[in-house]
Amino acid sequence: MTEFKSVVCPICGCLCDDLEITVENNEIVKMKNGCAVCEAKMVYGYKSEERILKPMIRKDGKLVPVTMDEAIHKAAQILVDAKYPLLYGWSSSTNEAQRIGVELAEELGSTLDNCASICHGPSVMATQEIGIPTATLGQIRHRADLIVYWACNPWTSHPRHVERYTAFTEGRFEKSEWKNYMLKLKGETGKKKIEAASKRLGQYSPPPRPQVCMVDAPPKSIQKMGRKMIVVDVRKTKTAEAADYFLQVEPNKDYEIFSALRCLVNDQELDIDKVGGVPVDYLKDVADAMINCEFGAIFFGLGLTQSLGRFRNIEVAIALTRDLNRRTKFVISPMRGHFNVTGANIVFAWQTGYPYAIDFSQGYPQYNPGEFTINDLLRRGDNDATLVISSDPGAHFPKSSMQNMMKHPLITINPDMNAISRLGDVVFPAQWCGIEYSGTAYRMDSVPIPLKKVVEPPPGILNDQELLERILNEVRAIKAQKTEVQTKVKGEVRSAAKTVKKTAKRTKRKVA
Amino acid sequence: MITLTPLRNFDVPVHASCINPDEFKSKTLKEIAELPVTEGNRNLTLSDLFKIEQDKTETPSITLNGDFKKVKRVGQGMKTGEIIINGNAGMHTGERMAGGKIVINGNADSWTGSEMKAGTIEIHGDAGDYLASPYRGSGTGVKGGYIIVDGSVGNEVGCYLKGGVIKIKGNAGIFLGYHMTDGAIYVEKQCSSRTGAAMTGGKIILAGTVTELMPSFTIDSIKPKVKVDATQSVAGPFYVFLGDLADHGTGKLFVSKTNNPQLAFYEKYL
Repeated sequence: MTEFKSVVCPICGCLCDDLEITVENNEIVKMKNGCAVCEAKMVYGYKSEERILKPMIRKDGKLVPVTMDEAIHKAAQILVDAKYPLLYGWSSSTNEAQRIGVELAEELGSTLDNCASICHGPSVMATQEIGIPTATLGQIRHRADLIVYWACNPWTSHPRHVERYTAFTEGRFEKSEWKNYMLKLKGETGKKKIEAASKRLGQYSPPPRPQVCMVDAPPKSIQKMGRKMIVVDVRKTKTAEAADYFLQVEPNKDYEIFSALRCLVNDQELDIDKVGGVPVDYLKDVADAMINCEFGAIFFGLGLTQSLGRFRNIEVAIALTRDLNRRTKFVISPMRGHFNVTGANIVFAWQTGYPYAIDFSQGYPQYNPGEFTINDLLRRGDNDATLVISSDPGAHFPKSSMQNMMKHPLITINPDMNAISRLGDVVFPAQWCGIEYSGTAYRMDSVPIPLKKVVEPPPGILNDQELLERILNEVRAIKAQKTEVQTKVKGEVRSAAKTVKKTAKRTKRKVA
Repeated sequence: MITLTPLRNFDVPVHASCINPDEFKSKTLKEIAELPVTEGNRNLTLSDLFKIEQDKTETPSITLNGDFKKVKRVGQGMKTGEIIINGNAGMHTGERMAGGKIVINGNADSWTGSEMKAGTIEIHGDAGDYLASPYRGSGTGVKGGYIIVDGSVGNEVGCYLKGGVIKIKGNAGIFLGYHMTDGAIYVEKQCSSRTGAAMTGGKIILAGTVTELMPSFTIDSIKPKVKVDATQSVAGPFYVFLGDLADHGTGKLFVSKTNNPQLAFYEKYL
């Protein structure tokens, strides 16, 4: 039995680094400190029965196990033959593997995209447009007295975010308010239980739906000293239940609300009474709370990046933060999803200058989300081969994208037999990053954290970095062979032409 | 005049910034045939992908017949001459153009006329997103020129506009004239929400219906008539809004009064 301390959790962008893991007979048997999502993967998920143990190639419509060399050769051949291949995924892989991925993309002249394209890519674009006043989670933990969660639900998506970095944590300068929040949550749960019981007894009549406005007026507690939490969302989530104030907005109206808040913060009068279903008077109270806090932090999620307006929503949120910084201290930070999607952006930017949606077809990197992002490429049907690594677009992408992806060869690198692996033409097994091999990953606030290896991988399976290196070498070998053949053919053609000329001259002389 | 016709349907994007009157000028047909293009990651020449013909007529300089939807960057940076595309045009058509004329007898894809400085683009079909909008992260939009679209346009048209005129005879998507500082945009039919967001100057004229106005605009007056450019003025009446207040802007948004009775409540502030 071995015990590992300070293990980093490879699930979400929080990268909690305080896990205590017990390993017995090369199996994780116990895990301490992690959330339910972490336990699901670290203790049970990684030992799944769906684990791919051998590389496979599709022959006559069926996946057949082959040797690693054969699979690598086949994959490299597909990539070299393609005119416009696409490499996608990367967010659940290490930075070391991502680096090789960029090298492979450059060698192939392919397009390169990562999962930011379907999550926080718009946040990166907005940062390029306007910049970002941000801070590390450590700073927010110790200093922030106003936390705003906008269009995200960390209680479900990043379960330890509130506990480790914001409202529930005991900071050096800000006390934890967890008791109040837990009491509130218990009250809400009790209320729900009573409602459910009276429903069963047939005595339940649903409360009348508000006719005018679905938002409650802000309580006085958002103006108090000490930690405060405001949640802005389109529905009442568990995080919203715990918050001091829940601002329910109409879907796709975030831009308008941010814009109205900016006007209020800049002392402008608004002509209208309501914005996005929220009375302007309520927004004035929220603006007051934002101005009067000592250190505010806005965390935003996919509700902003993937709703109407996309990166413009983030741009206006950052503009609001910028305006607030004239009055007080305010920071803004995206709630990044996969544990190393930030890393993918950083590695790509460090290697090519651009964080995602990169095209190498001209021999140099070009960047343009909307043109080189995976779903736009697939929906237009631009690519003629795809490599997917540590990601499952098969489970998440629109039908039109997947239909076009399936028209051409597909190579997959995933530890599990997930939806995309089932569709692959060449299917590689992989090790679980952060469990079976170590590496580096970036937390959501762009802090690099080393991942630990705690168990040995099944025999014969390479990690992402080794596998990509071998594919890259094979690609180089095939390309070298091709150019050799081409030069040989050219040489033969030239010598044949020379002999034809010589014989023509000779015959001329003879005739003369 | 040079006429180009695709030899086959392209399944991957073709990068052909060499299709440009300035590039073709003073070149023989053989030299034109050897201009470099790429199809995906393959380096080819123009004659590998297109049938090239020459006749003695002077204008237009280049005629493109067929579907050019996958051919990107046609007429990039052109300064003189005229291109006629009889079919759909691909992305970045007429990007950074500084003179001349492009006529598209079909639909235009996104980023058409991006960062242009002068010249004319006529689109006798629909246009995609980011028409006359700059490259990602750039704050320098169209500085001059004239764009006419007979059909509808996508989202974020005329972002960071600094000059020039865009006339749209159909509908427009969200974020029309985002962050514009000067120039004029005219939309004849329906316009989606967030029009003129973050604008600080210039004018947007909406003669049709408007889905929703930004909260950060304030009413200024009602005008009977608005001038689009030197050649055209539109009869109203029009509500005149000023904004974007969030950016301390003084851009003008003219919205048809007759087609938008839902905005009548603004009149109480006049």
